[in-house]
Amino acid sequence: MTAYRLASGGLVDRSHGIRFTFDGATLTGHAGDTLASALLANDTLLVGRSFKYHRPRGIVTAGPSEPNGLVTIGSGVRRDPNTRATVAELYDGLEARSQNRWPSLAYDIGAVNNLMSRFLSAGFYYKTFMWPAAFWEKVYEPLIRRAAGLGRTDLPRDPDSYEKSWAHCDLLVVGSGPAGLSAALVAARSGLRVILAEQDFVFGGALLSEAMPIGGEPAYVFARRVVEELQSSPNVTLLPRTTVFGWYDDNVFGAVERVQKGVAVVDATKPVERMWRIVAKHAILATGAEERPLVFGGNDRPGILTASAVSTYANRFGVAAGESVTVFTNGASGYRTARDLAAQGVEIAALIDSRPASGDIAPAGVRLLRGGAIVDTKGRHRVRAVVADRGGFEELIACDAVAMSGGWSPVIHLACQRGGKPVWSEALQAFMAPDVGSGLVMAGAAAGHYLLSECFDDGARKASAVVEAVGRSVSGVEQPVIGEEADPSFTALWHVPGAKSKAFVDFQNDVHTKDLGLAVREGFGHVEHAKRYTTGGMATDQGKLGNINAIGILAGMRGVSPAEVGTTTFRPFYTPVSFGAMAGASIGEHAMPTRRSPLHGWAARNGAVFIDAGLWYRSSWFPKAVEKSWRESVDREVRNVRENAGLCDVSTLGKIEVFGPDAAEFLNRLYCNPVLKLPVGKARYGLMLREDGMVYDDGTVSRLGDEHFFVTTTTAMASGVLSHMEFAAQVLWPDLRVRFLSVSDQWAQMSIAGPKARTILQAVVEDDISNASFPFLAAREVRLKGNLKARLFRISFSGELAYELAVPAGHGEAVADALMRAGASHGICAYGVETLNVLRLEKGHVTHAELDGRVTPDDAGLGRMMGTSKADFIGKRLSTRFGLTAADRMQLVGLKSVEPEKDMRAGAHLLKDGVKPSTINDQGWVSSTCFSPTLGGHIALAFLKSGRERYGEKIVVWDQLRGVETFAEVCDPVFVDPENTKLMA
Amino acid sequence: MASLISCPHCGTRPKEEFFIRGDATPVRPALMAAEEVWHDYVHLRANPRGRIREHWQHVAGCRRWLVVERDNFTHEVFGVTDAAKAGEGAR
Amino acid sequence: MAYEYQAVHALDGTIGAIAERRANHLSVHRTTAVAMVLAVPGQTAEAAGILLSSGEFEARFSGPGEWLVLSEVHAPETLAAELSVRLGDFAFVVDQSHGRVVLTLSGPDAARILANGIAVDLHADAFPVGRAANVLCSHLSINLARTGNESFDLVVMRSFAEALVDDLKVMARSHDLSVDFATR
Repeated sequence: MTAYRLASGGLVDRSHGIRFTFDGATLTGHAGDTLASALLANDTLLVGRSFKYHRPRGIVTAGPSEPNGLVTIGSGVRRDPNTRATVAELYDGLEARSQNRWPSLAYDIGAVNNLMSRFLSAGFYYKTFMWPAAFWEKVYEPLIRRAAGLGRTDLPRDPDSYEKSWAHCDLLVVGSGPAGLSAALVAARSGLRVILAEQDFVFGGALLSEAMPIGGEPAYVFARRVVEELQSSPNVTLLPRTTVFGWYDDNVFGAVERVQKGVAVVDATKPVERMWRIVAKHAILATGAEERPLVFGGNDRPGILTASAVSTYANRFGVAAGESVTVFTNGASGYRTARDLAAQGVEIAALIDSRPASGDIAPAGVRLLRGGAIVDTKGRHRVRAVVADRGGFEELIACDAVAMSGGWSPVIHLACQRGGKPVWSEALQAFMAPDVGSGLVMAGAAAGHYLLSECFDDGARKASAVVEAVGRSVSGVEQPVIGEEADPSFTALWHVPGAKSKAFVDFQNDVHTKDLGLAVREGFGHVEHAKRYTTGGMATDQGKLGNINAIGILAGMRGVSPAEVGTTTFRPFYTPVSFGAMAGASIGEHAMPTRRSPLHGWAARNGAVFIDAGLWYRSSWFPKAVEKSWRESVDREVRNVRENAGLCDVSTLGKIEVFGPDAAEFLNRLYCNPVLKLPVGKARYGLMLREDGMVYDDGTVSRLGDEHFFVTTTTAMASGVLSHMEFAAQVLWPDLRVRFLSVSDQWAQMSIAGPKARTILQAVVEDDISNASFPFLAAREVRLKGNLKARLFRISFSGELAYELAVPAGHGEAVADALMRAGASHGICAYGVETLNVLRLEKGHVTHAELDGRVTPDDAGLGRMMGTSKADFIGKRLSTRFGLTAADRMQLVGLKSVEPEKDMRAGAHLLKDGVKPSTINDQGWVSSTCFSPTLGGHIALAFLKSGRERYGEKIVVWDQLRGVETFAEVCDPVFVDPENTKLMA
Repeated sequence: MASLISCPHCGTRPKEEFFIRGDATPVRPALMAAEEVWHDYVHLRANPRGRIREHWQHVAGCRRWLVVERDNFTHEVFGVTDAAKAGEGAR
Repeated sequence: MAYEYQAVHALDGTIGAIAERRANHLSVHRTTAVAMVLAVPGQTAEAAGILLSSGEFEARFSGPGEWLVLSEVHAPETLAAELSVRLGDFAFVVDQSHGRVVLTLSGPDAARILANGIAVDLHADAFPVGRAANVLCSHLSINLARTGNESFDLVVMRSFAEALVDDLKVMARSHDLSVDFATR
């Protein structure tokens, strides 16, 4: 046995055990443990295999920067890979598994990579997997992918739910150590809206593992009292288990709260994680400092931890990292850990100080080697001894744990995420946060203040400045009394020369000192190049632990200061964030909102099959019990509309009401066809262009009064057209006196089409709608029987005698029902968008299948509509430009299959018979197709070069995707009733 | 890009409430202006680094078109004006 | 044949009966009359004066020169007609009683629930009683008004009403929420 639970001490609840498993073995820990502390307490040192060499690895830290202790927690669909054991809260029944090993952690085949390591140097992949190029996809990529990666994720859908929340505050404090608590307390007492976020599941930060009493009581008790006061303040929000991972523009912070990640049973009614977007007037980063590992031969063996981690495990969790610990330090921290261990009765094999001299005093009875260093370690799956070197003399020191301290680096990541570069401090031998303005300031150890007393002072001082900045007065500042503290200084030691085995700089990515040397020699010495070349500082770890040593080593190799080397770029996220948290509730049916037509209930009652159309849910067709395919239903609906009548929901069209003295002028400039002289009570087809001369959208314009219009847009472009109109009114012509409003949702709109449409409608409409009093293109308010005001438009998309009737949305279903009743004896049927599409195609009417942004009015056969004599309209100037008027442009034509039963598909290309398919031979393309029950064959709309001159020509419809060629005859796109006799009837 | 934009009509809002159209500097030419001028207006955009003026529409709020003056490198926002007002100044 | 056109509410059939009202409650209004008032260009001050000074109308800011007017006492058509008469040449009035759905969210967690979809600071100091604005709520643009310390009105496009209620239920997942039609 080596690591073990101490007989007493720590903030764990020893009164009852918590059972958990690691790689199938059942172990016991306590409430308050992390998975890492519980594993150590069970003497489970080996927790994973390294990324490249598959070397045995153990826990190194006691916090979020852990590079090695990455495990998969949970099983089945609740499986979180790459979870850091050092921050995972222990719970009853927790299942953890090691990663990156096969078949087992102790006997890992991949470890052969370690023996092959001389061939797996930095840049290995770039150099090896180059030639031949044909191997990239089939050989190299699968090979690399199999070897790469750490934990594996699962494909089944995540059963848990996630939430996203906004929060606002005067002051966000990140971190609840001495500086953070002190800052939050001052701000809270001064009445600010405060949010205190702590990544740990207990507030207190370093105070939780602090041995020095504060104000005469244990540090954690002091922390608890402060937290209780904060908790009772209505102006304070405490966010435990919350990692602030990103700092974004305008002082918006991203944070993820692990609401239910450390629980045995997930409450399905609550989210497991919550993504916070925190809008903070000010923020104080009290994120503390990270202890640096030392880079010496064999420094990656399980049982070698940072000194502060060893102290934390002892003081906070009551766990000894070993029975006999060697401390290796370049500064005061190692002495402090030695004192902590001595106080707990743990044996210290030796205290090795790289500095020849210092004022630090070793605990009584501890062997101190000044000016010494570890050059190698012994052991297989755990450290058994270290080889210490002092003045050229080597000594083997038996021990079962090593506590290493390479000095401290303030945790400044968030402050550097918006482009600010860290600033090197010669005095602190560390990179400090740049001055990023008063919105975000560093406090405590994160600002380079390593003494407890300084942290308390600094937190209070920085918070006081914020209180004043938001215009309040500071109150309630009181500093706790603490004893005398030792000088926390250290002397940088980037790596120990003369290593006898690999000295790792980046544990997670298996980068050792020689890799960095190779990078410099091969010209990749720039810090950003070295990162890519060696992979140091990549993956989940992002170099939180190792980068600083890498920078120091590169500086030494290049003979410059670390300031000159600089750091790699800091970006969100500080620690990995799950995709679930990022998606929040926007998944499944909540990924997009669904829009429901006011006639949805009517359609459902009539047996509609619905289809997603943008956000809408539209009725597609209305099958009868006997019909076996959608085609049967659609063919029947089409024939019925052409012979009798049909009713279709067109409520999804965009509807905009336009008012004002300049309304006509405004619309005249928006549409390419003239609007000014449209009489009151009349509707007109309207075509909008873009400024480049291409068609943007089409619809109808109805004049309800001199200064009052009602326009419709296509369903697809409804929101785009509204924005376009707003741009025109507000930006292009703000002087026009015009106002408009989308009224899409106010009206249920239905199309009643077919030779019997008038008869049916007249049964419901009070006003006379005979052809004489309500002719084609009439548009006005009418009164329905039963005294309901409605708007009636005699417009037709189908080519039949047709009307669109608009009624207030809530009455839509009842009106549709009344029309169906009135039409029952005339054979009315409900029809959906499939039939609508066949009807319009047979009539040669275009939709956005044709108007795809590359089509001019003339291409679509609508050139006559252009109001060329109008003073100006959007698209006028460039519609006459070169190329848009060329004679060989593709023009809208109809196509009829020569063999009527052979179908065509949209997207097919048109070729002259007998020529090879090629871009040069391309004659055009098919935009819409259908089976026409009216013509008894397949028809299509297509764009064909000089198409209008080629009616009667036979052409090949070439569909490479399906490998089908159809022979078709080019014809007028109006297949049905070209004389418009039905329309005008 | 900014996380928050201060709409002159609605106050501070997240960028998700806005639609960004692009460069606000081109002014629609007179109808008979040279074709080249129209090509510039419709097709050509400079892509400067630094201070730029853009058209943003507050689609989820007041639906007004705004001119956002900002630095596309530092992401600093210098001002947000209603486009109709901004236009008055330009004319 | 008798012609009566029973009005259907956008949320009819989508809300199950509730056993009891919970701590937080989403109340769906059946018969609120709603109109949009658009000031005639150049007449915004005059229109605002008439609309806001009388205190008779519940007018909520929608955009510059645009207000959403709600009434529980007028019939839809009478609200628009009365507003038209009162505002005369200063504004255009559009009946939106069928185009919008009005909901009231009330309860101690109302602001916290809304913070799961709305980015605006809803602290009572920042968004006091009487304030109204169009805001993005989850995926949808709505008009939000604070009607009390713990109550908010949400006005949404009719076609999105069901989606909004679904979203609100998800937003309130960690809180106690019931949904029902207003009894009034």
